[in-house]
Amino acid sequence: MQIIDTAEKRGETAGEKALVVKDLVKKYKGSSGPALSGLDISVNYGEIFGLLGPNGAGKTTAISIMCALLRPTSGSVTICGVDVLKQPNRIRRLIGLVPQDIALYSNLTLRENLRYFGRICGLKGQELKDRIAECIEIVGLEKKADQRIFTYSGGMKRRANLAAGILHKPRILFLDEPTVGIDAQSRNMILEKLTLLKENGTTMIYTTHYMGEAEQLCACVAIIDEGHIIAEGPPQELIKQAPGHASLRDLFLALTGKRLRD
Amino acid sequence: MFKIGATVIKELLLLWRDRAGMLVLFVMPALLVLVITLVQENVLRTMGESSTRILLVDKDGQSLGQTVEKKLLESGLVEIIKEIDGREVDEKEAVEAVINSDFQLCIIIPKGITKAVKAKARQVVMKSLSMDDTSAVNKTPGKEIQRPDIAVYFDPTVLGGFRSAILNSLNLVIVGIEIDEKMKVLSRLLPEYINMSIRKEMGPFVPEDLIKDIPGIQLDFSSNPLLEVREKPAYENAFEKTPTSVQQNVPAWALFGIFFIVVPMAGGLIKERHDKTLSRLLTMPVSYITLISGKVIAYVFVCLIQFGLILVIGKFLLPLLGSPMLEIGSDPMALIIITLSAILAATGYGVLLGTVARTYEQASMFGPISIVIAAALGGIMVPVYAMPKIMQKISAFSPLEWGLDAFLDIFVRGGNIKTVLFDVFLLLSFFVVTMFVSWIYFFHKTRNGA
Repeated sequence: MQIIDTAEKRGETAGEKALVVKDLVKKYKGSSGPALSGLDISVNYGEIFGLLGPNGAGKTTAISIMCALLRPTSGSVTICGVDVLKQPNRIRRLIGLVPQDIALYSNLTLRENLRYFGRICGLKGQELKDRIAECIEIVGLEKKADQRIFTYSGGMKRRANLAAGILHKPRILFLDEPTVGIDAQSRNMILEKLTLLKENGTTMIYTTHYMGEAEQLCACVAIIDEGHIIAEGPPQELIKQAPGHASLRDLFLALTGKRLRD
Repeated sequence: MFKIGATVIKELLLLWRDRAGMLVLFVMPALLVLVITLVQENVLRTMGESSTRILLVDKDGQSLGQTVEKKLLESGLVEIIKEIDGREVDEKEAVEAVINSDFQLCIIIPKGITKAVKAKARQVVMKSLSMDDTSAVNKTPGKEIQRPDIAVYFDPTVLGGFRSAILNSLNLVIVGIEIDEKMKVLSRLLPEYINMSIRKEMGPFVPEDLIKDIPGIQLDFSSNPLLEVREKPAYENAFEKTPTSVQQNVPAWALFGIFFIVVPMAGGLIKERHDKTLSRLLTMPVSYITLISGKVIAYVFVCLIQFGLILVIGKFLLPLLGSPMLEIGSDPMALIIITLSAILAATGYGVLLGTVARTYEQASMFGPISIVIAAALGGIMVPVYAMPKIMQKISAFSPLEWGLDAFLDIFVRGGNIKTVLFDVFLLLSFFVVTMFVSWIYFFHKTRNGA
């Protein structure tokens, strides 16, 4: 199944990074410390980059800034060579977001949701119909596509949420904990589909609390805490570099501590 | 335009499936118009703006009772009832019916009143002609005749205005009867009086022809008034008929219903923000203005249907329930412009509320309460002229007052596009200001994460 066009077709140039984040700082008004303090990230085309961290580490803030939803206090973000802060409208044609919440209209069916989001992305006519059918097939909801979202199970909602994120074939897909709160079968299916998207060249920025998922899926991960990166690299290399830690989960706990976060 | 169209379709679909929203948008305003217009119609009846049923007990059964009945009916103020359950009522039953609030009042015409009035008229005329009891023409010599009374029993809940109107009408009827009776006596006695005076002065030398030729009074004085009070409309193009309660209530409560769209509209915006569909949309190649424009257009469309439905109720359903029919005002084009301006003002407020309120609970509490306050200030519940001076000044800041004033110009005062232009300007300005403030607030709070 051909989901994403080839690199050549997409106009990617050799050596260019899909995403470059430089010295990103974000301070919220009234907050005691910065949510992000000098975050630096660099992601290659076609790579799945894992952004790991405990609650409140700054993952969602970072993704919001990268998606042009939030303005940073300072720093820069470049996606496919386009400055996010200067040209947010161009960026919106390149990115897709799968938020942590089920960002769908619960009183519309999946097909109606996809039709609306597709039109907003500029898809029309047969192309729109084909893309809707394709995305519904990818997430395995063909039989339920004409049922309203509120009738879906948790796993179905997560899959539908993914379908809306990939509808317009984004160059970079941001996934904010896309598998939270669902059963093993649905999670497994979502991970399979993400692998398929990666194989077809989609770059992904992936946040999760499931370290196993990150190990399985991501070419590179960054563990962030209190707004800055405390470890970065391919998961296996990070584990090797930290003797005594058998898994990414152990390493994560060693780096971020066992103190509960709010 | 394509993206705005997509948003309009999505909003209409969501509204169509939102039962509570549909209830707020269609059923509630329709019920409000129906109930309040029917209730107000009854209140106006009790205040005398349309005919009220009253009980009349005529114990006399002579000409005076018949004249009172005829003149009251001619006033158009009352509908006279003389029987309950096919049986004539007596004074005791009539008073009981008033006590039980079955009737607002009853009029009792006592036995012998016709005879007493005639005798009293004769006595008064004779007095005025300085004829004493012993004079030849005085056929009813004796003591002073008591003035006969017509009794009126009121239900204590009857409002002062209506009470005065009924008493004034009765007094007018009585004055008319008095003049007639006095003139009748005078026309009979005056030739006799002149004859008697001439004979007294000239004795037996008066020629018989002179006495025969003394003219009688033929004219019916009470039905030939010298002056008339004529009610004239202040507006040039005013309606021929006096505006009814329907004419005032239907546009007023339709406007109230239009402003109630702020609840589903603000609710929709808050839900989109909370379930992050708005975040998803803002990562797509579409501007916030396009998204909001789609929403506003969808709600304008819905409100137009809502307004049309309320006009249909006023035109066709209310008359079936005994109310007067709504007459579409003097300038349909101006009506459309006012309606669109009022709807835009309401949607602007809905967008502002949906942007500023943090939770649906906040919006669903603050929205309706603020609209009820604005409606009260705007004269929807009590006319602005009836408010204290300070409230009248405050009411000038209520969008509902601007809308209502413009609607009443068209529905009641016979105005036109020129007379409503300033109100339309205020409503559209309110829309622009609320949208601008919402936009600034949204970008400040959302984009900066404040």
